[in-house]
Amino acid sequence: MADSVDQATKSVSDLSVDSPSSETISKNARKKELKNKQKEEERRRKEEEKAKQAAATASSHAKKSATADDEDMDPTQYFENRLKYLASQKTEGQNPYPHKFFVSLSIPEYIETYGGLSNGEHQEDVSLSLAGRIMSKRSSSSKLFFYDLHGGGAKVQVMADASKSDMDEAEFSKFHSSVKRGDIVGVTGFPGKTKRGELSIFPKSFLVLSHCLHMMPRQKAASGSENANLKKTEAWVPGSTRNPETYILKDQETRYRQRYLDLMVNSEVRQIFKTRTKIISYIRRFLDNLDFLEVETPMMNMIAGGAAARPFVTHHNDLNMKLYMRIAPELYLKELVVGGLERVYEIGKQFRNEGIDLTHNPEFTTCEFYMAFADYNDLMDITEKLLSGMVNELTGGYKIKYHANGLDKDPIEIDFTPPFRRIDMIEELEKIANLNIPKDLASDEANKYLKDACVRYEIKCAPPETTARLLDKLVGHFLEETCVNPTFIINHPEIMSPLAKWHRSKPGLTERFELFINKHELANAYTELNDPVVQRQRFAEQLKDRASGDDEAMALDETFCTALEYGLPPTGGWGLGIDRLAMLFTDSQNIKEVLLFPAMKPQEEAPTKVAAA
Amino acid sequence: MEAVKAWSLSLQWQQPLKLLFSPESVRAIRLQKIQELRSKGLEPYAYRWDRTHSANQLQETYRNLENGEEVNSEKDHVSIAGRIVARRAFGKLAFLTLRDDSGTIQLYCEKGRLVSDQFEQLKNLVDIGDILGASGSIKRTEKGELSVYVNSFAILTKSLLPLPDKFHGLTHVDKRYRQRYLDMISNPEVADVFRKRAKIVSELRKTVESFGFLEVETPVLQGAAGGAEARPFVTYHNSLGRDLYLRIATELHLKRMLVFEIVVEPKLLQPTFVLDYPVEISPLAKRHRRHAGLTERFELFICGRELGNAFSELTDPVDQRGRLEEQTRQHNKKREEAKSETDSAEEKKKHNHDDDDDKESYEVTLDDDFLTALEYGMPPASGMGIGIDRLVMLLTNAASIRDVIAFPVPRNQE
Repeated sequence: MADSVDQATKSVSDLSVDSPSSETISKNARKKELKNKQKEEERRRKEEEKAKQAAATASSHAKKSATADDEDMDPTQYFENRLKYLASQKTEGQNPYPHKFFVSLSIPEYIETYGGLSNGEHQEDVSLSLAGRIMSKRSSSSKLFFYDLHGGGAKVQVMADASKSDMDEAEFSKFHSSVKRGDIVGVTGFPGKTKRGELSIFPKSFLVLSHCLHMMPRQKAASGSENANLKKTEAWVPGSTRNPETYILKDQETRYRQRYLDLMVNSEVRQIFKTRTKIISYIRRFLDNLDFLEVETPMMNMIAGGAAARPFVTHHNDLNMKLYMRIAPELYLKELVVGGLERVYEIGKQFRNEGIDLTHNPEFTTCEFYMAFADYNDLMDITEKLLSGMVNELTGGYKIKYHANGLDKDPIEIDFTPPFRRIDMIEELEKIANLNIPKDLASDEANKYLKDACVRYEIKCAPPETTARLLDKLVGHFLEETCVNPTFIINHPEIMSPLAKWHRSKPGLTERFELFINKHELANAYTELNDPVVQRQRFAEQLKDRASGDDEAMALDETFCTALEYGLPPTGGWGLGIDRLAMLFTDSQNIKEVLLFPAMKPQEEAPTKVAAA
Repeated sequence: MEAVKAWSLSLQWQQPLKLLFSPESVRAIRLQKIQELRSKGLEPYAYRWDRTHSANQLQETYRNLENGEEVNSEKDHVSIAGRIVARRAFGKLAFLTLRDDSGTIQLYCEKGRLVSDQFEQLKNLVDIGDILGASGSIKRTEKGELSVYVNSFAILTKSLLPLPDKFHGLTHVDKRYRQRYLDMISNPEVADVFRKRAKIVSELRKTVESFGFLEVETPVLQGAAGGAEARPFVTYHNSLGRDLYLRIATELHLKRMLVFEIVVEPKLLQPTFVLDYPVEISPLAKRHRRHAGLTERFELFICGRELGNAFSELTDPVDQRGRLEEQTRQHNKKREEAKSETDSAEEKKKHNHDDDDDKESYEVTLDDDFLTALEYGMPPASGMGIGIDRLVMLLTNAASIRDVIAFPVPRNQE
């Protein structure tokens, strides 16, 4: 059954089992070609000109004639027709899904190698194979078809000319009428440029490798704009602005639920995810160079510790045990520092059972590192080096553009030039909000004072109105709002920071910082609390908040406290939200833009066909 | 008690009776020491420490220093930090072994050399297990032990609990895994496993990146159980108000149906590809281009264990739909059977109804989103999965998967 496919594959593949017959065929074909070369040249020149003229002057017309027989069709009908076509192929003994196609060059490599050809130049003695997805198809006659072949973020024209093909004319025109926009094809032929200077490949053989059974989304606007869009997206670099409103496929639901379509037709999207990968690999390289060891800690725990958040609960059947999905790897990583791994980090997923919105997804990616013998001052320096270095590598400078106020407003500029601004939380809050907060933040007096302050400034705090929560609201209102360029808010009160060490000189406060950029928290770090007695007290205080209804207060982890009793060296610990950083560098206002498969609400019906966007 | 004694042989010059006390008593004594330190204005939990060298760097740098020789120029003034794992004392002289991430080095502490009353402090307030920072010059003792000739030191972290007995201590396997940090302190070679693990992952990453692969992250939480091959973890998302499933390993449990596995696998010691598995147990693999009924698939076996699984990916959406439908149908049939069996046997074994009985208790639905994606066309492609844990086991000579996972799930709950 697969034999015929093998034959087809053989002629184009170096790796498949070889067959001398196909070589003979191509040799003969070449001989014939040489004979007719002069004649051919002339004919092609004429054809090309004619076709180009036709394509240029009436490309919309050409498109129309192409869509007339398929793309105006009802999507279901279209799909069924395609299935019928596949079935008929199989009945004829053809495998419509070949196993292997040997690609000699990627499309970007092809452009780099042959982009320098002069107009009208053809290298007929060269034979190479390209593969990719057809994103547009035009025909000027049954003997000449033009395709845009996309792959590796670039595109090249395929000019399929019956006279160059191994097929006879009837076969050729029948075959090419069955090739659809969206099909993945492999072509083998020679490179050349058209008279008008468009780099193309002129195929001798043309093979469909995988069929697109649905209509691909296409831009509603008239022809030409598709190319314009491509040109624009090729220019996109991290740190510059972008506008998903201008994408060929705009519908958000479709883009996120069928990400493959988004990646196929909106070429900027591929750059978003490349940028995300670069961010992570930069962090990894940075930490590896500082002799940090990358480790993996459990995602399912008996206690959800290390942060304050609602966890996911699951059940281990074999052990008949309730387990929580981790909300932070912090406690495990510190246990490893107790064990003598002085510099460890983990990049991985955390899980929080909370609502989905523009900046929250139930699973998200963080990097946490722990560094023995360092404190939060060291970590601020490291943070500045890491982020400014990263921005510099990704963008070539220290400033990025970001649509902080929506796509209809001008983008703001965010400046990562170090050093970053540092503001002392309580001091600055008292100054800006004109407050005089009682020094003992654990007192009822302080709680009442902050409640009154919130009322006075009309700042809402959902119950329970614990001092920590009230402070958080005030800081959000008065301080975070001022943090557009990277800013460290430092020295949080102990009651807000159960795992941070008490400040060496400011009673009631801790050695902690949060990094804010564009008013959002990006990183959180502190000199780690390593006094087990104080740690137990802090957990006990959290328990009180829990009792008063704050179900996000931290749970006591006895295993962790025991580990501290064996001695955790002075350690600086640091955590960063990768998704939010990726959002900043890709001008994304929605976290879903930087997640390949974001969590979506359940749908009534599965999405299948997308016609026009 | 044993533990305290064995680790503290050299502590005899210090209140010897207390050595026989339980960990709880040790804890109480050390808490007193903490108070004493604080009363002297010394913080037993320091904020930071600047090191000039790691222990190993010193061993390297001064490799050629002669026995009995001391070097004391500006550049030989070094600073180091780590955990004290042993000590001996003779009158006005004390030797401490300090261990850091890289290795160990001796601290040579002479009463006359130490600033102010630090020798008394060392005697009375420093215990094995404490984390110390020390600075001084470099000396190799007559016996050939490279040492930091200490001028001054600081207790960076006071430990409260005694370290386990070096010789009899951490043999209890479950305790080793539960308190991995103790395992690492007692057996430094344990940390090497995790260093190697990091290296292995990093090399894999480098290799695939050099081929032009892009590393991506896909969801752990999924709306539908991924396939019928393994029983997934189930959880519940509050705000969406729906069950979610944790993704399962792609390792197919179906292959266990093969008699082959039992007979041949243990004999495959050298790296061996086993090729072309039947279609029935390879629901995602492409049909073989020549052999009907088989797929283009291989599994890699080393030392009788499966390390990798790979195939030409099935790209034909019609074929794929057929196979998944069949799989789903079979799964749900077993589920029905199991359910009716349990119902009838419920009286008898109410208490025993747990695992084996409801292996198929979860529902498997057809992954329509995946099939739709294939209908848009997937290029000919191949995919491969490698079990990192098994690879690390192989390359670190580990007998159990629990040896290569820093914090394995505890077997039994306390």
